[in-house]
Amino acid sequence: MPDLSVSDLTVEYSSGGYVARPIDGLDLLTSAGSLTLLMGPSGCGKTTLLSCVGAMLTPTRGAVRFGDIDVTNLAGAAMTSYRQSGVGFVFQGFNLVSSLTVLENVMVPLWAARVPRREARDRATALLERVGLEGRAKDRPGDLSGGQQQRVAIARALAMDPPMILADEPTAHLDYIQVEDVIRLIRELATGERIVLVATHDHRLMPLADQILELSKGFGAVARPPERRHLAAGEEVFAQGSVSDLIYVVESGEIEIVRERSDGGTDPVSTSHPGQYFGEMGPICGLPRSATARAVAPSDVVGYTVRDFREQIGPSSIGSLLSEGAPQ
Amino acid sequence: MLTAALRDLQWRRRRFAVAVLGAALVFAMTLLLTGLSNGFVEEATRTQQAFGVDAWVVPSGASGPFLGATPLAASTATDIAAEPGVQMASPFAYARVAAGDDGGRDVNLFAVPPGGPGVPDPDEGRAPERAGEVLVSSKLGADPGEQVVLLGRTFEVVGVVDGSTALGGVANVFATLEDAQALIFSGQPIASAIATRGVPTSVPAGLRVATPTDARDDLLRPLRQPRLAVTVLAMLLWVIAATIIGSVVYMTAIERVRDFAVFKAVGVPTRDIGIGLVAQSVFLALVAALFGAIAGLLLAPLFPMLVEIPGFAFLALPVLAAVVGVLASVLSVRRALSVDPTVAFRGP
Repeated sequence: MPDLSVSDLTVEYSSGGYVARPIDGLDLLTSAGSLTLLMGPSGCGKTTLLSCVGAMLTPTRGAVRFGDIDVTNLAGAAMTSYRQSGVGFVFQGFNLVSSLTVLENVMVPLWAARVPRREARDRATALLERVGLEGRAKDRPGDLSGGQQQRVAIARALAMDPPMILADEPTAHLDYIQVEDVIRLIRELATGERIVLVATHDHRLMPLADQILELSKGFGAVARPPERRHLAAGEEVFAQGSVSDLIYVVESGEIEIVRERSDGGTDPVSTSHPGQYFGEMGPICGLPRSATARAVAPSDVVGYTVRDFREQIGPSSIGSLLSEGAPQ
Repeated sequence: MLTAALRDLQWRRRRFAVAVLGAALVFAMTLLLTGLSNGFVEEATRTQQAFGVDAWVVPSGASGPFLGATPLAASTATDIAAEPGVQMASPFAYARVAAGDDGGRDVNLFAVPPGGPGVPDPDEGRAPERAGEVLVSSKLGADPGEQVVLLGRTFEVVGVVDGSTALGGVANVFATLEDAQALIFSGQPIASAIATRGVPTSVPAGLRVATPTDARDDLLRPLRQPRLAVTVLAMLLWVIAATIIGSVVYMTAIERVRDFAVFKAVGVPTRDIGIGLVAQSVFLALVAALFGAIAGLLLAPLFPMLVEIPGFAFLALPVLAAVVGVLASVLSVRRALSVDPTVAFRGP
């Protein structure tokens, strides 16, 4: 069975006229028969990564390969075929079609693949048995609980017996009673040679995972000494879309903060002078940088981890820190 | 994927039923207007045919024996009767006159000498044989033995012709030439045209032969603009039908964006999604056409004038309805095709 490899994956798009880069140079290798969790806060690129792996989004740079398939360059019939039989999707909101019965929802991928009706019905019925919903075949999705709907969605994802399942927050709308069956099912999906890639905030899934990919470094993740940097005029401290864990204080010179527009230009955001700090939002909230910082003139800056920085300013000042500092 | 389209029709059946009802009424109106326009032609043809005349002789400058007539001497009929090809010729008079005690109703007055060509066969009673007698359309509501008033003069009804009308439902009355000359030509021995049995191969100078088709067109002449207006209205109604169906299908397509995204994500070819929407729209249009045809047939007799829906209209209706359905689905299909499959990843 094929492995999934993602290399140097970068996705850029325009957000409010500015360049957003939820994924920047991501690498991932997942072996057949494994359950991989993609974890991180909202906006860190989990769903974007699933979209790229599912051939629903073309990355700006980098490659996604699934076995012999170059997913990045799929188009037309090959892309449709890959979505039909190469990958199964489980969506956050279940996304069952309200007008179809439970059985018909599971049959949708089989209809798409022109599987004969009787065969499709038999296959869908077997899958409903597998997820424990054989008695609800004729019901509408609205008649089921959230957990049952998600089990139908899992059955639908398995309809074409794909070698890879992509699940986006599959437990997001389930209570602790409903979630058990879904978690068990997700784990079972990865017991053969199938790859299961799950984007989630749900830490209950972590003990079951074969691999966990943290897409964003969080608050105070790494303790290290302050980083002192001397910058020539025009040199970047950090680039928009990049991820780092340092908050910078200007010792000398002048640092300008600019935001890259999607048309290639830049908009000035602010300028930091000696004694001022910048770049606090990204490290504190675990977000990519929302702007670029560069030296206007030869400058010296010191980078602190969030923990060190907070110790310097005192815990009571964290609110004013966010309100007074420059963006990102 | 047609199953998904069918299930969606069932799922939103109330909304689609309203659309079908609206479109069906529009289709019925279209059929009725077509029947109305055709009815003008049909009643003119029937009226002209009822005279049993092979040709009409009119002055060269006249466009026909009825509305476009230019008076000529009634004695001209004697000259025409002598022309080769003519078996019988008689003077004919036409005028639109006021009927009733108060003159509040118009009728078409046609007149020939008793026994001459130009009087239809009565369905009840007989044709007028002497002055003071008239044969009337059943639309006038008078039975044999009753009296009618034309331009203030009283006539005895001696016969009835079923549904004889012209010029858009105006009742026809047939009188003797003598009475017509007294009523409309102040007693002068003149006529509107000469009606003949047999077709004259030549006519005296200053006259020309008008065919039955020319005569029919002469009756239709004042209805040309109304018929054009009816045609334009009918076309507008097709557009309205397409708009009704299109707006409902489009609204549905907007609501189904997430469904389309899921379909695309699981590998349903975009073409199949489009076909499903077109099929929905065409299905709605065809069902509306069926109900429209039934409504048209039921409503036609309620009109005060002849509404003759031609057979081809019933054959053309489903075809045109299918075209309307396809056109109505264009915006929806465009919307569905533009849906990004990543929409399926968005939360509820």
